Amino acid sequence: MAEKRIVLSKCGSIDPQDIGTYIAKGGFSAFIKARDKMKPQAIIAEVKKSGLTGRGGAGFNTGLKWELARNAKAKAKYLLCNADEGEVGTFKDKYILSNDPFGLIEGMCIAGLAIGAQQAFIYLRNEYHFLYDPLVRAVGQVREKGYLKHMDIQVFEGAGAYICGEESALMNSIEGMRGESRYKPPYPPTRGLWGLPTIINNVETLMNVPHIINNGAAWFSAIGTGRSKGTKVFSVSGDVSRPGVYELEMGSTLRELVVGLAGADDLKAVQIGGATGNILPASMLNTPLSHETYLGSGAVVALNSGRDIIDVVQNDMHFLNDESCGKCTPCREGTEVMLEIFGRLARGEGHEGDINSLDALARTMAVSSLCGLGQAAAVPVLDSLRYFYNDYIDRINQSHFLRSYLSGELFKSEEGIR
Amino acid sequence: MGNVNVNIDGRKIRVREGSTILEAATANGITIPTLCHIKGQVPSGVCRVCVVEVEGSKTMMGACHTPVAEGMVIHSKSPKVIAVRKVIVELLLTAHTGDCVNDSNAENCALHNLASDYEVGAPHFNVRNPRFYPAEESNPYVKRDMSKCILCRKCVKVCGEVVRKDVLSIGYRGFKSKVVSGFDEALTAEACRDCLKCIEHCPTGALSAPARV
Amino acid sequence: MVPSKKEALSENGRAGLLPALKDRAGREGSLNRESMSGLAGQYHLPLNEVYGVSTFYAFLPVLPTGKNIIRVCRCLPCHLKDAQAVIGSIKKELGIAPGETSRDGKFSFELVSCIGACDQAPAMMINDKLYGDLTPAGIAEILKSY
Repeated sequence: MAEKRIVLSKCGSIDPQDIGTYIAKGGFSAFIKARDKMKPQAIIAEVKKSGLTGRGGAGFNTGLKWELARNAKAKAKYLLCNADEGEVGTFKDKYILSNDPFGLIEGMCIAGLAIGAQQAFIYLRNEYHFLYDPLVRAVGQVREKGYLKHMDIQVFEGAGAYICGEESALMNSIEGMRGESRYKPPYPPTRGLWGLPTIINNVETLMNVPHIINNGAAWFSAIGTGRSKGTKVFSVSGDVSRPGVYELEMGSTLRELVVGLAGADDLKAVQIGGATGNILPASMLNTPLSHETYLGSGAVVALNSGRDIIDVVQNDMHFLNDESCGKCTPCREGTEVMLEIFGRLARGEGHEGDINSLDALARTMAVSSLCGLGQAAAVPVLDSLRYFYNDYIDRINQSHFLRSYLSGELFKSEEGIR
Repeated sequence: MGNVNVNIDGRKIRVREGSTILEAATANGITIPTLCHIKGQVPSGVCRVCVVEVEGSKTMMGACHTPVAEGMVIHSKSPKVIAVRKVIVELLLTAHTGDCVNDSNAENCALHNLASDYEVGAPHFNVRNPRFYPAEESNPYVKRDMSKCILCRKCVKVCGEVVRKDVLSIGYRGFKSKVVSGFDEALTAEACRDCLKCIEHCPTGALSAPARV
Repeated sequence: MVPSKKEALSENGRAGLLPALKDRAGREGSLNRESMSGLAGQYHLPLNEVYGVSTFYAFLPVLPTGKNIIRVCRCLPCHLKDAQAVIGSIKKELGIAPGETSRDGKFSFELVSCIGACDQAPAMMINDKLYGDLTPAGIAEILKSY
């Protein structure tokens, strides 16, 4: 199956540093239509009807979210574009920002009209610093064209914290605070940045907006599945021969993406959605990718038959432990305890109790953590226990073997001793 | 604001709209444990021991910060809630180091009491490096033994929002988070005077009054 | 529910703090006590608060760093492509472990979370420049150019 390019339709065919090339391809026609011919409520109604959902992972209906902010009474409203792409294995937004910054800015211009925001920010992760100047220049070109009379856009650079991709942490970061999560409710559309109504949309979500305004909600909602309309941009890496960014219709199968397009063979598993993503065995390659099944941020890491699942989950946990903001107990302490367990399992010092501990910790973190990081940190653990239980049992049995047959010297010489 | 009807542990309760689940429960004699909450202050929601089940919600909700809503059905003592609280208490005990068992003040330790209420014994989890900081006794008003700190942030909150001194903040990130003063240095007598509010609110023995010589 | 000093100032007043810290760290290599105190005064914040913000973010070093900062990605896609061998090669080349700075002050070496170059794994950044598809043998050549 071939790709279906909507979001990426202009990538490669325009000069990302020249707004003229974007306009020549029909760029900003959607904005002009929205500005001159549509009331904010009509823009929202169109986006709502299209079924567009957030592409950052949560999958909330975008138009519905906009409506909440539109209806909120406040002295000012904010629009934030989340370009803090930090999910492990995700690089699609970098590709979009590098190749079609105007598509994003046009989407933001329209969103600004819809919700009535006067100020917008693009929260760019520090690791993408090389995109800062080009983005500022692109915004400048849009401003010069007179398309930013209703709202200003400022590029705000992060300072190296994965958690700032979580919307409440992102807002704290802009406010000059530690990038820690806030409890919800209140939700950002009613009480966000500086306590004012705020809409936070992913880069890819906003990229869809001009296409929906130009082609109509019916066109968009005809693409995809029941609850997942349109396309999804995936970042594929790991054990594939053609790693890269691919855009597919929602509901395409994992096999089409990972095997068909990215060229994987001899698969053992895939992890979908980064370090907090699901780990699925190769037997599930026919699973469609959508909000109804598995999607996340669209990061797909392929794992071949030679890979060790415990090593994979240990790596995930290392990342989550590094990146936990530390505010709430389950995530701060839980990721640390899990990392200790995975460290022992990897070194051949595991025991049966570890499986119960991992299970209890994962279930606790999933329901009691303050934000999505701690809640989703449980996902790779629970999935690996579910689909690769025998890998754990084998590892623990090997640990027994090691303990019984080898002298204690082995452990003393290595980092194994704590 | 009017009143709303909620159900907590099978009891029909009518409470003021805008109250939190914790306020609704407390007003009706239902006890929900907390370690980080200071009555009357903006909730922190960090310790998570107050989580409750709310029907229709995928995750549990922090009782201290979640406002009640009409028709809410809440379970504050279900087996699931108890199991989750036990793990959270066990996690807090795991990285927390100190001589609590031998401490004559152990009965004043909220974590110790919560552990015994929930029958959590010696933790069977481990961490790679338990938190260990040398006790700090240079300040004439407050002795800080940060190894016993459970990062509930009550001291930060009370110092900033109640006393308005703001000499404490959270520093670092994740498991390495720590309550810091200045450039992460000892609490000086110039910065911290003798209000003793933080000692009053510290749930463990991390902050205490120095023994008078 | 009276906002504290920290919160009261947060309305826009504090908004410039992160860019200011970044700017200072960028020019001076790291944030020392003096620069943090200066910013604390400027933003009417206690020093502990500025310190708390700085130590939260990976790109706001509080300890002195080398002239160039090497950040090697240690996340799954790079890990699968043997980032470990690249890390080993840098260790050998510079004689320092992750978290350390070379004796001549030329390089600091860190292992970091995903840098979004998974299609070019294993990857690293030196300052703001990205290097992808790394091989252990190619490291010396790259380091020589600094």
